[in-house]
Amino acid sequence: MTNGVHEIEDAKCILNYGYNGADSHPIVQRRIIRAKQKGAKIICADPRVVEAARIADIHLQLKGGTNLLLVYALSNVIYREKLYDEAFINERTTGWEDFVKVIDQDRYTPEAVEKTVQIPAEKIREAARMYATTKPAAILYGMGVCQFGQAVDVVKGLANLAMMTGNIGKWASGVGPVRGQNNVQGACDMGALPNNYPGYQAVTDPAVQEKFEKAWGVKLSNENGTPLTHVPEKVLNEKDPKKQLHAYWIFGEDPAQTDPDLEEVRESLRKLDLVIVQDIFMNKTAEFADVFLPATTWCEHDGVYSCCDRGFQRVRKVIEPPKGVRLDWDIISEVSTKMGYKMHYKNTEEIWDEMRKLCPNFIGATYKKMEEYGGVQWPCKSEDMDDKGTSTLHVGKFSAKDGKGKFFATEWRTPKELESEEFPYSLNTVREVGHYSCRTMTGNCRLLRSLEDEPGWIQMNKKDCEKLGIKEGEIVKVLSKRGWCMTRCLPTERMQEGATAMTYQWWIGACNELTIANLDPISNTPEYKYCAVNIKKLNDQDWAENYVKTEYRNIRSRMGIDVEAKEAK
Amino acid sequence: MAVKTVRNTCVYCGAGCQIDFTVDTDTNKIVKAVPAMGRTNQGTLCLKGHYGWDFTNDPQILSKRVTSPMIRRGGKGGKLEPCSWDEAIQFVVDNLTKIKAKYGANSIMGTASARSPGNEAVYVMQKFMRACIGTNNIDHCARI
Repeated sequence: MTNGVHEIEDAKCILNYGYNGADSHPIVQRRIIRAKQKGAKIICADPRVVEAARIADIHLQLKGGTNLLLVYALSNVIYREKLYDEAFINERTTGWEDFVKVIDQDRYTPEAVEKTVQIPAEKIREAARMYATTKPAAILYGMGVCQFGQAVDVVKGLANLAMMTGNIGKWASGVGPVRGQNNVQGACDMGALPNNYPGYQAVTDPAVQEKFEKAWGVKLSNENGTPLTHVPEKVLNEKDPKKQLHAYWIFGEDPAQTDPDLEEVRESLRKLDLVIVQDIFMNKTAEFADVFLPATTWCEHDGVYSCCDRGFQRVRKVIEPPKGVRLDWDIISEVSTKMGYKMHYKNTEEIWDEMRKLCPNFIGATYKKMEEYGGVQWPCKSEDMDDKGTSTLHVGKFSAKDGKGKFFATEWRTPKELESEEFPYSLNTVREVGHYSCRTMTGNCRLLRSLEDEPGWIQMNKKDCEKLGIKEGEIVKVLSKRGWCMTRCLPTERMQEGATAMTYQWWIGACNELTIANLDPISNTPEYKYCAVNIKKLNDQDWAENYVKTEYRNIRSRMGIDVEAKEAK
Repeated sequence: MAVKTVRNTCVYCGAGCQIDFTVDTDTNKIVKAVPAMGRTNQGTLCLKGHYGWDFTNDPQILSKRVTSPMIRRGGKGGKLEPCSWDEAIQFVVDNLTKIKAKYGANSIMGTASARSPGNEAVYVMQKFMRACIGTNNIDHCARI
């Protein structure tokens, strides 16, 4: 995020785009509500009536898959009605003329897009005026922007809106991707990326390579690596054995539950010569492991997480881990040493200090400062205790080499798989408020587990449910070109007609059996938010209930639960 | 009952909420989560922050905590069986070394967790893939 979470409540206008904070980050959502209480205008762009839509001054309930069209229509209004910040554009940015050539086209006026986007032109105009004239205005976005085959272009489109209105580099403004998992920001910061070393330093930059070679005492590759979402392709379809993947070390994630098109994922896991799983619980992926390395979990080890607004904060050991498990970094270090590259660390602070000395933006974020100040937002470029980090990015200049913000525009394209006669509904995958990711953690918490359980729900418009003759709670079969699953019907006015949504936490109601691995060409993020499905009514509900129960029991048993003993209790 | 309080950062989303855990040191169990005055959460927590620590007790509802390394001895299609740490580590070392020698460093892919392990474990994993294996095939679930 360009701005701190604590800044949100000072915004006078919030454009909440494809972001359902109430389910994914309830504590961030509180800041949006507080901004509203302090008089801020709220614009919510989302195909569903999410909680933010209910408190919004304007809800832009767009048709799924039309993000870029809506963003360009907003830009078009701001440009043609001269609501832009000319001084900011002249002093701080480049590429304005080329950008205008794209968004000033007649096909991007609100009137031209209203039918496709399914929002009245006047409402789009009203939202554009509200965002451009109520300052400071902040944009918050989530997976409703990122999980499409055309995602990075929309992120840039939102950044264009902020730049053209001068809403960046200032308190309570900017563009905020609110990161989903607790340490996604940290995994990026630490260089768990095929193109970057820690601190966003490119593996293809010779000066960077030399610095890391010197620090680590070894020759390094200057060739970008394989993104995670290319794994099935590299295992299943690559013909050259030298370019195929043969071994996969999966550390703390469950691709056989959370990646798109699960049948393809399973096929890849079966074909790999070696699958190493390092985790805390048995999970769907571990069923394909050749070796399982059990590690400590949250509350059992020390370290640092990076929160969504670049805040480094300490993680501490709260309880002693069970006997038999080991620290993640200790396991990896031993393998490395035995393979001939020596790694030995006494504690996490020693690792942290090695890392921050290689990263100019993190060097000042010492454990001492995190202890003293509660946390440090990077960039923090000096170890001096007076440098407490940075809340607002891009003040005075941008981080690009020339210090300018660059406008960028390209043309809109539709999602890859649209509704058809055979699969007449669109499917959007979303989150449970009480469950997290593959659910091995929250599903093993007695209280959270009681909130929602298998087989999950498919949210549908009431009219569609009537058409199909299905009632709330009935088990239905959902099918796509790739697979099928069973789940319960939830009729709701939050959904548009023809659109459906499922949460991705369930084994039996596993929506990733249905999703499509259509990737954004830059971010390589899959199109989880759009594919075509059909819904089949099941006449024998007793059979369906029994199927869910038996299947759930079988999977739990495979996950190491003594089901009979549990049921006897 | 002897009790201590330890501050921690929540593991459930990017908000970075600060939690004060009350721990019963006699039984080595968390008793409760109390919201702390963190920069982002200011004395509040959501339901996952309040109740999401119970899995550390291994109540065995959905899946079982694994507390011993395991190897699939019979090869693919065999059963995962408990083994010693020495055996598990040697299995990983031998197989990775063999695959690297046969197909090259780029035939090996690694991920780093964006969840509980934390930044230091992620740093060590990417360093291992780059410095020991010799590839930039390292990624994590930010894309998904």
